[in-house]
Amino acid sequence: MANIQGAGTKQNTYDAIVIGSGISGGWAAKELTEKGLKTLVLERGRDVKHGEYPTAMMESWQFEGRNKLSNVDAAKQLKQARTGYTTHPASAHWFVNDLENPYSEQQRFDWMRGYHVGGRSLLWGRQSYRLSDLDFEANAKEGVAVDWPIRYADISPWYDYAERYAGISGNRDGLPQLPDGQYLPPMEMNCLEIDVKRRIADSFGGRAMIIGRAANLTVPHNGRGNCQSRNRCIRGCPYGGYFSSNVSTLPAAYATGNLTLRPFSIVNQILFDKDKGRATGVRVIDAQTNEVVEFHAKIIFSCASAVASTFILMNSTSERFPNGLGNDSGELGHNLMDHHFKVGAAGISDKFDDKFYKGNRPNGIYIPRFRNLNKETKQKDYLRGFGYQGSASRTDWARGIKELNMFGAGLKADLIAPGPWRFGIGSWGECLPYHENKITLNKDLRDKWGQPTVTFDCGWKANEYAMRKDMKQSAIEMLEAAGLKEVAGFDDVVNSAPGNCIHEMGTARMGRDPKTSVLNQWNQVHTVPNVYVTDGACMTSAACVNPSLTYMALTARACDHAVSELKKQNI
Amino acid sequence: MNTLVPTPVSGSDASGLMMNRREALKRAALLLGAALTPSLIEGVLRAQPTVGGKTVFLTAEQFATTSAVVERIFPKTDTPGALDVGVPAFIDLMAGGYMSAEDQRTLTAGLADVEARSAAAHKKAFGQLSAEQQDALLKTLASEPKGRSLSFFRQIRELTIVGYFTSETVGKTVLHYDPVPGRFDACVPIAEVGRVNWTK
Repeated sequence: MANIQGAGTKQNTYDAIVIGSGISGGWAAKELTEKGLKTLVLERGRDVKHGEYPTAMMESWQFEGRNKLSNVDAAKQLKQARTGYTTHPASAHWFVNDLENPYSEQQRFDWMRGYHVGGRSLLWGRQSYRLSDLDFEANAKEGVAVDWPIRYADISPWYDYAERYAGISGNRDGLPQLPDGQYLPPMEMNCLEIDVKRRIADSFGGRAMIIGRAANLTVPHNGRGNCQSRNRCIRGCPYGGYFSSNVSTLPAAYATGNLTLRPFSIVNQILFDKDKGRATGVRVIDAQTNEVVEFHAKIIFSCASAVASTFILMNSTSERFPNGLGNDSGELGHNLMDHHFKVGAAGISDKFDDKFYKGNRPNGIYIPRFRNLNKETKQKDYLRGFGYQGSASRTDWARGIKELNMFGAGLKADLIAPGPWRFGIGSWGECLPYHENKITLNKDLRDKWGQPTVTFDCGWKANEYAMRKDMKQSAIEMLEAAGLKEVAGFDDVVNSAPGNCIHEMGTARMGRDPKTSVLNQWNQVHTVPNVYVTDGACMTSAACVNPSLTYMALTARACDHAVSELKKQNI
Repeated sequence: MNTLVPTPVSGSDASGLMMNRREALKRAALLLGAALTPSLIEGVLRAQPTVGGKTVFLTAEQFATTSAVVERIFPKTDTPGALDVGVPAFIDLMAGGYMSAEDQRTLTAGLADVEARSAAAHKKAFGQLSAEQQDALLKTLASEPKGRSLSFFRQIRELTIVGYFTSETVGKTVLHYDPVPGRFDACVPIAEVGRVNWTK
């Protein structure tokens, strides 16, 4: 490539480069800069400073189409719209234009991307749970894929560390399958939730239903304001009521004086020096000018999201690594996972008609995994398990849309008033890591910068389908036992396509053996030890809980390792 | 398609705008072979048209039919009616740039069907019928077997509900409007939140 700017120049050299500014990249930026490293964070999208959330204070009538995108705008986000909620006018600007960012699907894959500083840390569901040894040991015990190279004891102090900084509200519930953490005061359950919790425990041998553990502040924390109970988190929170890179880790990194953040910087590849056996830097395409620039550093953290980090590794070919950086195992791009969901049940209650709530709680209840925990709960037809997220609320005017044929003054008055209480739960299930669920580089379809694009080939299999039956049936059973009326199960398997849950994991898994995995127990590329991958790509199995907290903990742990290795001059 | 829509008014001459709309409604009524009653004209004028006083999709006749239908779906009572909060303009906007071509056809065919049924049964425009006659006609649509009439009824009904409850007037003065609650109280007597739902 001719005329590459900055190749080998001093001003383009840093101690560390972090690719991506989402949950993982923000944590890497904070940890590395606080440890004194001059750090360059490369973000492919635009800059977003805390507070720059254009729709945060808007009401429905202030959006031209109220709750809808215009046909013209919707046509730009047909894939991003597949979740059913992301392309609302209040949040569509946080999701990519599919026409400008194409990908291909051998099987349907819903790839939701936020290309801006903060990435999807601005948009996440904020549910924050720990994996347990039930998860870390599962692959080895069952002979599935490869063993995790770490156990709960390795990550537990880093969960503590991440939770204390991020601010997670929750309760210490004492459940071995869902280890307790360092929590701010829990949010409250409403009256119907308390009633259902008691009845589920009574009917199912003490089965737990807990308040969600959420990265929303119930009290002011680390200079951020507490949650205002607006439940408009996905727009960005001007109060800093929930954890995002924009409000937490990036300001902390800036405060050290060691951070340089470069928006509109698409990392095209990681540069590798065969003689040193180390990465030397990255090649960047400026998204606005198309200029190609190189930056150099002693260590590189790839935190671009599971699929994007793996794309960069796959695109980083050299004589030594013709199939992608660090890909001696052939596992790079494989073992793609997501959680399968959109299955559960809902019912209405004839109780508590004289009760309501004040404020909109941005959190719900959680029913932790209760299958395949031990011999007593072992299932015959599937491995692993699932949890439920849900909530009780009074139905609002939208219920009127379903009452198909009514109209008139009576209907209007009815819909102005709160409707009956409704309790619904949806299940999040673990997906096994399958070698054949994969991404590949598509050199025939190029993006607007001339880069190859990603092709997905990923689908659920027998284990997930068998689990889904139980996910639905168990939901119905619990809700009926809880005394709810008109209980109806649902299973929208079509719209639970891989990717739809926005928990992409795997494709550069951690493992003990360089022959069968890409990363070691410190998230280092086995064969290129100054490259760390600490986003969802590293996951060896998926567990059934929301993964972001684990990325925070693994990133902080990997940064600690990297700096210690740097000091020892091992990398 | 929009031949009966008033021409855009230059500047911000509100009275000119009103006259234009009034004239257009009269012309629309003439075309239907009927005269609009003053009350209907006032009713339609309560439904503010879109930016610049011009509909974006519906013809004036269609706009008039829409206005009469939505006011029966959500009539004015002690709370505002659909016309008070601009539901016809909302539906016009949706039809112009927010719905599929198929939904557009459902809407326009449905509005024509309403007028055809009204003319056949009463020899009057739908807007000229008594409230009871209008309700009876809408009930016939609602009780049709699956088909275009029923699809239209459900479509305009849903548009009315959404347009009504996402409007500023309803959001701020009818529902419980508190965009920054500040705290969460999980279980309170319903009277504390005025027995109305939260604005979302």
